[in-house]
Amino acid sequence: MKHASLKAALRTALTLGILAVLIYAFLPKYWIFLVTAIFITGIALQSLGLVTGRTGMISLCQMSFAGVGAWVTGYLNVAEAPGGLILWIVLGGLAAVPVGVVIGLPALRLRGINLAIVTLGFAAAFDTVLATITFPGQTAFIQVVRPSWFESDGGYFALVMIVYVAIAVALEFVNRSRLGASWLAVRHSERAAAAHGVSVPMAKLSAFAISAFISGVSGGLLAGYLGTLVAENFNMMQSLALFAVASMVGAHFTLGAVAGGAMITLFPELLRRLGLPQDIGNVFFAVGAVQAMSTGETISETWVRLGSKLASRFRRKPAAVAEPEVKTARPLGTPAVHQPGVALEVSGLTVRYGNVLALDKVSLKVPSRTVVGLIGPNGAGKSTTVDAIAGFLPRYEGSVSLNGGPLEGLLATERARLGVRRTWQTTRIAPELTVGDYIRLAAPGIRPAEIEAVLEWFDCPVPEAAIASVDAGSRRLIDVAGVVAARPPVLLLDEPAAGQSYAEALKLGDRIASIPEVFGSAVLLIEHDMDLVRKACSDITVFDFGRVIANGAPQTVLSSPIVQKAYMGVELEEQVA
Amino acid sequence: MNSLLTSAVAGLSAGGAYAILGVCAIFTYRLVAVVNFTGAAIGATGTFVMVALYESGVPLALAVPVGIVAGALAALAVGLVMATWFSGAAASTKAAVTAALLVGIIAVGLRLTGGQHPHNFPDLIPGSAFRLAGVEVTWAAVVTIAISVLFTFITEQFLARTQTGLELRALSQRPMAAELIGIRVKLLALSVWAVMGAVTAFALMVIAPQRAPDFMSLSLLVVPALAAALIGAFASFRAALAGGMAIGIIEGLASGLDTFSQYRGAIPFLVILAVLMWSQRGARFDEAR
Repeated sequence: MKHASLKAALRTALTLGILAVLIYAFLPKYWIFLVTAIFITGIALQSLGLVTGRTGMISLCQMSFAGVGAWVTGYLNVAEAPGGLILWIVLGGLAAVPVGVVIGLPALRLRGINLAIVTLGFAAAFDTVLATITFPGQTAFIQVVRPSWFESDGGYFALVMIVYVAIAVALEFVNRSRLGASWLAVRHSERAAAAHGVSVPMAKLSAFAISAFISGVSGGLLAGYLGTLVAENFNMMQSLALFAVASMVGAHFTLGAVAGGAMITLFPELLRRLGLPQDIGNVFFAVGAVQAMSTGETISETWVRLGSKLASRFRRKPAAVAEPEVKTARPLGTPAVHQPGVALEVSGLTVRYGNVLALDKVSLKVPSRTVVGLIGPNGAGKSTTVDAIAGFLPRYEGSVSLNGGPLEGLLATERARLGVRRTWQTTRIAPELTVGDYIRLAAPGIRPAEIEAVLEWFDCPVPEAAIASVDAGSRRLIDVAGVVAARPPVLLLDEPAAGQSYAEALKLGDRIASIPEVFGSAVLLIEHDMDLVRKACSDITVFDFGRVIANGAPQTVLSSPIVQKAYMGVELEEQVA
Repeated sequence: MNSLLTSAVAGLSAGGAYAILGVCAIFTYRLVAVVNFTGAAIGATGTFVMVALYESGVPLALAVPVGIVAGALAALAVGLVMATWFSGAAASTKAAVTAALLVGIIAVGLRLTGGQHPHNFPDLIPGSAFRLAGVEVTWAAVVTIAISVLFTFITEQFLARTQTGLELRALSQRPMAAELIGIRVKLLALSVWAVMGAVTAFALMVIAPQRAPDFMSLSLLVVPALAAALIGAFASFRAALAGGMAIGIIEGLASGLDTFSQYRGAIPFLVILAVLMWSQRGARFDEAR
């Protein structure tokens, strides 16, 4: 997929480059000066788009990060540090990184609302501090010195464009990498991300760190642009307005960041020319943001949607009907070799929710390269068992071991990395990803050919398909394909056939039965579809009310009276009679 | 030592106001499930309506109730937006919406009140109540603290003991389910907003003379308010009450010390950071997902 990132990056760079040349060649000087501000704001918006739009953490102090960058740039200027403005700007951005990380620390445990409060608090605190220490050179009117190449307004515009393109291209690569996918995954569901071995704290902190750097750079650029700065350039209202605009336009899209920058810069200009007070702009941004959040669609998304609709109307023929491909089974590669013996062993597992005893000294074994079924009526404790094994319960008694090594004390992420992988009863795939992105997130380091092969094996959509366009049944299959592609020693599949038709379920049963042979993994399968269970499992454990009531080969277990009573509702008396 | 006490006592009235705002923040969160960034701005709206009337010669006895009603109406407007379009939205979306609304309200407020233009804020409750260890305690401080304690007490009792309180608790936890069993969800939610607006407006009127009296500064009192609410973990009214008082007193102490006085605006942030690091130390995943 490096190819796709490269293509997207080139397209972004080329579009922006052409735009820059056109602006430089045709617009009068005053407008070039204004447009420079659009792109500086656009950089700040990109930083906000990363942390809020992509990772889903509300940040209300983005201009404070910019203020840190600007302050450091101004300080280095007054101190006449060697290296010149460009180096100072980079240093300013780096100085904002530790600040961003500290602000992001409370987000490691909880997200969303608390983070919004922390960031607003920081913006307020930074306002106070900045008002007291003032900008370096502010009182003595020392201008920030621009490098000789970029000294004129036109030259400085070129510098800002170069930085903008560099950041946009870098983000294009990062967003398509596993790190970028992990941001979206964390935003959508932290548990699901952890189940793929994604470190949730690392994903959040990296988002904050990179975002603070980019924002700091925008502050440094603003210092060079205006020459002297005052605290008001970075106060809380600026951060809040930036947040409103980002929510309105969708700052995590390249188009959105530019459009937002244009609004913030040109709206006051428009109002000024109309003889209206300029602060009305903020009212407009607030209304726009509320509107966008109520529909759940940002302006960029609306434009893209309308644009593609329009484009498809102008296209002569509808997209050519895909030729029924002659399927040649792609090679899946050789199965992973895991330690023989017992892959997963659970013994004496007891879980309490308050006074309710959900699991009572449950034990089960999954030998390597086998499929073991776990069945039982609703509320028997099946999913609780999976939660405990995968590390999603805060506490349990008893022990869980993988290949003989105990897993106690390890977090969900660490267990996933060791090779205990799970799926969920309801699909938790971030809809913004493509199918291929998701498989890469689930199975780090997988080769493109192998992605296609695994997807084909499970009858999933092609890697390029967007998850948002895939139906719920297929998403469940993609869920399974993802963990299978990682070829871990142990797979925990929680009702993979729920929502599938009978024929599809039987086919899935066939596939699951051959997972050990083809991929080398052992499977613990929770399922209600008895035909699927019979087909796939070599061994079955039955739960009822948190206890193991039967265990053994499928035919024997399923025909035993106690299982029939507990699970099938067949009365014992009838059989006795 | 005595000078420290003087500064601590000076922080009392601010502390009382933070406590009211913090309790109101929990009130809105627990009953309509919104972390409200516009709380102080709503109160500021009521306060400035009162000031405008006062400046044009209306007696205080009339201006204050009208201001309180204006606060309630401003809160109703915000509540209407939230209840109409965002009743089923995720908590973080709702918080983001109120943050965006704050931008708009401050812009309108600054425009209508003439920006930083100074206003003549009447001392609603003038004079000093008593002396504590040789330090004057103002009536304003006594009244704000009394209101905050009273509001906390009434709210707790109301929620725990009345039918409407029970319905409100149901509403906040499962709005859809509450609606299905016949609770008039929207009406209740809007009443919550109105009460919040009225109480906040009065609290800000009392302490406005001691603050930088412009619309934005008053609106940004939402920061200490939310810090107080965080101390109560958005659940305990009493902890928020104590937290708000504590923040006010610490601020008072800091302004008494020369080196720190300029940085006292940073105190709520440090409190927020400390509280979060402590209270979330055991948590691992966000709820529900």
